[in-house]
Amino acid sequence: MAVELRPPTARPDRKGGGRPGLADTLRQAWREYRSMRTALVLLVVLAAASILGSLFPQDGLSPQRVDQYFADHPALAPVLERLGLFDVFGSAWYMAIYLALLGALVACLVPRTRALVRVLRSRPPRGGDLSRYRTRASFTTPAAPGEAMAAAHRVLRRSRYRLAGHEGGELAGEKGFLREAASMLFHVSLLVLLVGLAYGKGYGYRGQAAIVEGETWANARVGYDSFSPGRFFGAGNLAPFQLRLDDFSNSFYPNNTPREFASHVTALDLDGRRLQAQRVAPNRPMTVDGVRIFQSDYGYVPVVRVTDAKGRELLAPQEVLTLRDPATEWSTGAVKVTNATPQVGLELTMFTGLVTAPDCPGGAPFCNDPRLIRPVLVVLAYQGDLQADRAQSVFTLDRSRLRPLGDRPVLLVPGQSRKLANGMTVSFTDLKQYSVLTLARDPGVPVVAVAAGLLLLGLIPSLYVTRRRVWVRAAPDGAGGTRVELAGLALQGKPAFEAELARLAEQVQRGTLNAVMDRAAAEETRP
Amino acid sequence: MSPGALATTSDTLTWLAVVSYVVAATLFGLEFAYRTRWFGVAGLTVTVAGLAANVGAAVTRGLAVHRVPWGNMYEFSIIVGIITVTGFLVWLTRRPEIRPLGMFVLLPAVLAMALGGLVFRVPAGPLVPALNSRWIVIHVAAAITGSSVLCLAAVFSILYLVKERLERRQRPPAPPLVAGAARTADRVEVDQAVARHGSVWSRLPSADTLDHLAYRTTAFGFPIWTFAIIAGAIWAQAAWGRYWGWDPKETWSFISWTVFAAYLHARATAGWRGRRAAWLSIVGLATLLFNFYAVNTVIVGLHSYGGQ
Repeated sequence: MAVELRPPTARPDRKGGGRPGLADTLRQAWREYRSMRTALVLLVVLAAASILGSLFPQDGLSPQRVDQYFADHPALAPVLERLGLFDVFGSAWYMAIYLALLGALVACLVPRTRALVRVLRSRPPRGGDLSRYRTRASFTTPAAPGEAMAAAHRVLRRSRYRLAGHEGGELAGEKGFLREAASMLFHVSLLVLLVGLAYGKGYGYRGQAAIVEGETWANARVGYDSFSPGRFFGAGNLAPFQLRLDDFSNSFYPNNTPREFASHVTALDLDGRRLQAQRVAPNRPMTVDGVRIFQSDYGYVPVVRVTDAKGRELLAPQEVLTLRDPATEWSTGAVKVTNATPQVGLELTMFTGLVTAPDCPGGAPFCNDPRLIRPVLVVLAYQGDLQADRAQSVFTLDRSRLRPLGDRPVLLVPGQSRKLANGMTVSFTDLKQYSVLTLARDPGVPVVAVAAGLLLLGLIPSLYVTRRRVWVRAAPDGAGGTRVELAGLALQGKPAFEAELARLAEQVQRGTLNAVMDRAAAEETRP
Repeated sequence: MSPGALATTSDTLTWLAVVSYVVAATLFGLEFAYRTRWFGVAGLTVTVAGLAANVGAAVTRGLAVHRVPWGNMYEFSIIVGIITVTGFLVWLTRRPEIRPLGMFVLLPAVLAMALGGLVFRVPAGPLVPALNSRWIVIHVAAAITGSSVLCLAAVFSILYLVKERLERRQRPPAPPLVAGAARTADRVEVDQAVARHGSVWSRLPSADTLDHLAYRTTAFGFPIWTFAIIAGAIWAQAAWGRYWGWDPKETWSFISWTVFAAYLHARATAGWRGRRAAWLSIVGLATLLFNFYAVNTVIVGLHSYGGQ
């Protein structure tokens, strides 16, 4: 930020007033590129581009909302996708903006470093004609010029000025280089932070896995429900361990808002030996072999068994993963009995605590208590063709070739069995919970963390340290005393500098008076 | 006191603070318009009383809910009042001459608090599990402080633009009235109106002072904002397993950070100092407001706790 620290920019040499050559144009463009103005414009452009990323749904953040957008705006959406507006922060043009900014930053930092080193090596320069400075102070003192200069030396040293004595009784002082150094630390840290971010993204991964209570899950690609690896992440790099969900628990406040949910997880090696065990809850992740494991979500797993009219088992007790609606805490799922003729599909709705009118708010016929106090499974049966050979969601039925079986839903509590209209029996044998854990590995985190710390460390001095130059001259005033002149130049914090220089002058003056008194005292005591 | 009584006390104190700030803003406005010191001193007294009520509101709310009192937008708004007014009072101890600006500082604080109380008020209650972390103390406190201070800076920038425009208009001395020159009565009237209009606004501190105030306030707020973002990233790493995910709230705090960074650079760039820099600061204010009001309520994201 200190313009004065830049190396003097030589104007392109125009010979004979002719047109500038290509080299001149390039040099000029390069200077323009690394100028603060370019950085400024790029910062503003980056901010504007980021706005787009918050206005359109983003693929990486909420793919469902992107799909919704495609459904709502079938004509516009493909165009927007072409422009990368559903993946702004991964798009080529966004990358181009920040790479241009980083390039400008590097281009600016190199000459700045050189200039700082040069200035630090050189002595504070002479002041020249002190009367041309706006901030000045002067006083006369009975001390000798030498004593005045010594006092000024002490005062400026104490105020942490770098000093240089020049010919003709001039003392030059300079301070505040920490500002430029800290500013460079800030900018370099920013670069390192972005490198760490890119490294972590490239070599890390992130995925989600649903584990049912009591089950053991192996850390392999197939075990993940969603998996997003970095560009350079090999799937073979997954750490070899297993996780067992020993127990899952959740609780609510009296007003039915969620209080806590937590998984008791045991990590095992591939031979089943226990590595570690921990309670994983929001804000309480677990770390296994460099992989961080977070509590993300949970849901219910009713265990359902289906037998035909003669008691033959059509569906062995099956754990049915259901989708939980966090607003109502009821869950929906589907059971597909493919070996029945005709095929039978069951739509399940699982209530944790079914409440019926009149105890429901707003006159609703039924509602749900989120606490697991009275689990009820509501089963709607259909028969026909499940079209199970086609790819479809495990949570829903494709009802296009199904017709309702029976005219009313069947209600089951755990342990209960009921007959359907076609004579089949559905049993709600058990109820379990599943926990959704997010597993993530980001090898860039230490780099980013250190860089963020240094960035903050550099930021404050780069804003608060102020650069100053001060010159002091002392000359006999012709009446037996000495006239001391101070002049200064503030590159930042100018309004405060006037008072600062006045204070320095006062301290120097006091110093000279002390010197005079010491001299007098010394002469008195001399025998 | 029971949690219920504490929560009621908190609500009462909040409105008491709002009313005090309105009264104080009026008094500062009167001082500004009539240059009567007495109004300013009275305004200052009422401000301090209002601040006491404001702090009381936050403390009782915290006691009522057994946690830090910044878990939702309503509580956030109460804290914004505390920070903005405290920030102004701290400035006052260093530069007593800016007291008449109290009106311009208190009114935004009042707006924020009244909006919080009218639109986003929620009964005292516990936090959802995702917010249950000690990082809420650090991250949210830093975010409130940083954004309040940066808003204060933008207020100074707005005042700077007003005053700078005025100074620019007055700088070239008006052409002397030439005897016999045709000046219609209308024009004379307009000129007088401009002069009168200018006479109130010209009581603002000099444009240089306002620019300096804006800069110093930004220089104070920017590191806090940076820290808030870093603290948020640490929390996100602990809670969601990624320190940065371009969630709308994250994106907008980055946008604000970029804009205020641009402001700081602009202040050191020829051709950008002054007016253009001030506009950047105002754009920064707009992004902060958007982040708080629109992102919490309109845009769906991980930070959509606001209304709960």
